[in-house]
Amino acid sequence: MKHLIPEFEKLRARFPAGFESSLVLPCLRRIQEDRGYVADDDIEALTAYLGVPRIQIEEVLSFYTQFRRKPIGRWHLQMCRNMSCSMRGSQTILAYVEKRLGIRPGQTTSDGRYTLSTAECLGSCGTAPMMMVNDTYHENLTHEKLDALLEGLK
Amino acid sequence: MPGRQLLMSFPVTETSHTLAEYRERGGYGALDKALRQMSPADIVKEVTASGLQGRGGAAFAVGRKWQVIQHDDGHPHYLVANADEGEPGTFKDRWILENAPHLLLESMLITSFALNVRNCFVYIRGEFDLPYRRLAAAVEEAYAAGLFGKNILGTDFSCDIVVYRGAGAYVAGEASGLLASLEGKKSYPRNRPPRLTVRGLYQQPTVVNNVESLSNIAIIIGNGAEAYRKVGTPKSPGTRLFSVSGHVNKPGVYEVELGYPWMKFLDEDCGGMLHGRAIKCVVPGGVSSKVLTGADIANLKLTHEDLWDAGSTLGSGGMVVIAEGTCMVTLMQVILRFYHHESCGQCTPCRHGTGWMHRIIDRIVAGKGVPEDIERLYYISKFNDGTTICGLGDAAGYACTGILDKFRDEFEYYIEHKRSRLDGNLECLRSS
Amino acid sequence: MPEIFINGQAIEADANLTVMQVAAAHGHFIPYFCWHPQLSTAGNCRMCLVEVEGRGLDIACNMPVSAGMKVFTESDEVKAHRKAILQFITLNHPVDCGICDKAGECSLQDYHYTYNGAASTSRDEKVQSTKFYNLSNRILLDNERCILCLRCTRFTHEISKSMALGVERRGDVSNIRPVEDRPLSEDPYSDNIIDICPVGALLSRQFLHKSRVWYLKPTPSVCPGCSRGCTINIWHRKPEWFVKSLDQAQNTSIARVTPLENPAVNGPWICNKGRDLAQILERTRAGEPMLKGRPVTVAAAIEEARRLIGAARHPLALVSNWGSNEELDAFKQYLGEVFHSFVKTDWQPEQGERIEDDLLIRADKNPNTTKARSLFHAGAPAYNDGTDLVLVWGEGASFASIPAKAKIIFLNSFLAPENGHADVFIPVSTQTERSGHYTNFAGVVSGFEPCFPKQATVTDAEVLFKALAAPARGHP
Repeated sequence: MKHLIPEFEKLRARFPAGFESSLVLPCLRRIQEDRGYVADDDIEALTAYLGVPRIQIEEVLSFYTQFRRKPIGRWHLQMCRNMSCSMRGSQTILAYVEKRLGIRPGQTTSDGRYTLSTAECLGSCGTAPMMMVNDTYHENLTHEKLDALLEGLK
Repeated sequence: MPGRQLLMSFPVTETSHTLAEYRERGGYGALDKALRQMSPADIVKEVTASGLQGRGGAAFAVGRKWQVIQHDDGHPHYLVANADEGEPGTFKDRWILENAPHLLLESMLITSFALNVRNCFVYIRGEFDLPYRRLAAAVEEAYAAGLFGKNILGTDFSCDIVVYRGAGAYVAGEASGLLASLEGKKSYPRNRPPRLTVRGLYQQPTVVNNVESLSNIAIIIGNGAEAYRKVGTPKSPGTRLFSVSGHVNKPGVYEVELGYPWMKFLDEDCGGMLHGRAIKCVVPGGVSSKVLTGADIANLKLTHEDLWDAGSTLGSGGMVVIAEGTCMVTLMQVILRFYHHESCGQCTPCRHGTGWMHRIIDRIVAGKGVPEDIERLYYISKFNDGTTICGLGDAAGYACTGILDKFRDEFEYYIEHKRSRLDGNLECLRSS
Repeated sequence: MPEIFINGQAIEADANLTVMQVAAAHGHFIPYFCWHPQLSTAGNCRMCLVEVEGRGLDIACNMPVSAGMKVFTESDEVKAHRKAILQFITLNHPVDCGICDKAGECSLQDYHYTYNGAASTSRDEKVQSTKFYNLSNRILLDNERCILCLRCTRFTHEISKSMALGVERRGDVSNIRPVEDRPLSEDPYSDNIIDICPVGALLSRQFLHKSRVWYLKPTPSVCPGCSRGCTINIWHRKPEWFVKSLDQAQNTSIARVTPLENPAVNGPWICNKGRDLAQILERTRAGEPMLKGRPVTVAAAIEEARRLIGAARHPLALVSNWGSNEELDAFKQYLGEVFHSFVKTDWQPEQGERIEDDLLIRADKNPNTTKARSLFHAGAPAYNDGTDLVLVWGEGASFASIPAKAKIIFLNSFLAPENGHADVFIPVSTQTERSGHYTNFAGVVSGFEPCFPKQATVTDAEVLFKALAAPARGHP
């Protein structure tokens, strides 16, 4: 985490004084972006850097769905299965992905390329069915679009 | 066009969200007027006079919320735009963040000036990546143009903004849960009193407003409250952005002048139903609002009062249209799974109730339901109504009882026959 | 003082209090799990919902009083809600009272019988979680019994400040968990969370499955672990429940120690050392009086001691700062003129023990230094070439420093090598075998009561001092 400290210092300067605790979420996000997940010694380092109780960081990591403490595949496919997406065929798309990749939600392909998850509403109901691949939304999914998408993900 | 357009009043292009084009449309003129010609008290009065209601879900009068802030109480004040947009069916704040970020920023500057706010924040859900990047870029542009920072437009008004990303929790859309998250903690909502406008972010007076609510401020100040009130109806002034999804031909974000007839909106603007199917029901304002049947909405206008009278609410403006042939039991399973997943777990009725409801509906869908299950769902909903720390418990109950009230027979059929009357179907793939 | 109404009764209420506090002060009990007078308001259990005319139901623990408000704590709506809250709490609760140590002092049990009384209405499987989780070497956590009132986490954040506990995950799979670098074992106040847990989720490992609480009685006492003098309850077997055929040592042993609430000294807390008092007070006892290691009767030992006292020219005494006020007064009265007396420091801090903090723990690890020093010299004993008799009362003396030619009278409760070397050795009673008082560092006097009978060969020091003052037979 040490190499990220100059960035964290810049971020800290944008907040009012006394807002160190607020830096927990953005710093964890950056650490995870950098390493792919948040490691135990990241927690230790961040606790020391921010001066917040360590338990606060542990709670945050387990409370929010976007944080992870273990590495996952290179491409994280998160399929929305909430109301509008279910009504526009997310189950069929999910079944298709499962068949093509040979994994169920919660699993990673053996070559480490893809991790599959389901997600709750991602705020894209008008372009359902959709999924998030890493940071990008892929909307109005069809089998064809999915094939093209998976081809493109090396 | 479903009535006059105030926010979506320009064609969206690859560059229409930029500062330059926003300025071409008259952007930041309202800020100039506010800083040079109005006092903070004037602005609060104008916003109150406009009758603007919150567009996040609760429809609380924005001016009334602002009035609690004492301008010179010696405390730092904070303004936070709620861009967490997690209510299923809702994606209209996203439109503003991606296409009109400067409208939000200008509005936040005017609001900060009115409420003596030196530091404001936008709390944006972690999954919104493109909206975040558009907003962050707009913030950069604004700083570079001297619209944020010290001595804005040459006045002694200074203001800084931080865009804060969430990390995946629907409950962070609840105002006090949002502030807990902004303080770097798990998103546990808080009991009131004290109100957030008395003790909010780091125990200081804080106003949390929805993105769309705030985005109306620049329009109201720019054109005046009187002009604003000419749009919409007396009890529902202005326009609302509706995110329309489900079994319609043209889902998307639409700006509707309040008072516009509902069926006209669905038939004409939203392209009518997929495959010409009849409407079974509509979730008007996000999954936490009570469902209304096609018959219920036939003669309604899109106003707060029409929906309150019909026993529902415009809520978050997340309108999900459901065609005949959709199994409401299977749909309820999707909905109750959502609340169970998102309950923060802090208070007794919601923590246990959302899990209990989910397990019951799973059992019904698996063909193992019993008649008492329906009463049990009502029981759990009743004792989550008004008993919890935040509205998530109540919302789960409304979603559940709303569907049970209108479609009880489908549940009784499923329980008796151990299968769906409609084959568990959620899609609308054919005309019948 | 605004006037409010609770169940029709007009009450002048302190404007700074909540409805919960005002109700409690006026005899209207409102049930609660998560509220605690010493902790911040959590308002998560929802058990304290009350009805306010014109406002519906809301929790009382976070409700400010307002003039004219009409509160109802026993209306039909309130009763229906209490039942429902209990249904929710017991939805996933294992209800394993049959093997749970908390039975008999459990809020959930009590409220169930008072406010609910009905079986669960759920047909669905209970959510399972970890049982027998090692929260620390002292505390066992059962997540299935836990109702997530968060009293324990609030305690570690607000009172002991170890920041040791938090909540992992969310919803009905939330679990109390300790922070991963484990400072709960380093928190010397950790065991207070066992007391404040309203259910059987947090259990003492040293008490685990030792006894049902209704077989035990609490005797008020004072912790001798430091000069704070926290008042405590020592729990031991009720006489009517004495075991007859199992190990009878159970009848005369300390089952557990808990705080005895005391606003003037320790509030509702004690530190873990007080919990472990059995380790101090139940060490192997010295059984019989001895003369240079040879067992004799009490009378013979007292006689020989009198003889040595009568013959001594420069007798010196090392007085115990574990002596009670009564014993110290008796020493002063009967032997104060006879001996040149110095207060000894019986106990020093142990390796790894917290020395002092701003909560309860004091650096002086003895209960009655204040009283002892008010009567006798502080400072090192003034031995000289003339010292020919040293009376050592209590532990911690440096026998090596005693001049070689001096005779030694040694009064001690516990087995020690020096017992057999003393010219006269007389075993004396411990604080659980008599009543008395200690004076803490701030001058507050607290009392203790006896829990157990003493052996016939053990003498009360207070009685002994008077006996030693009498001349030996054959002397004037």
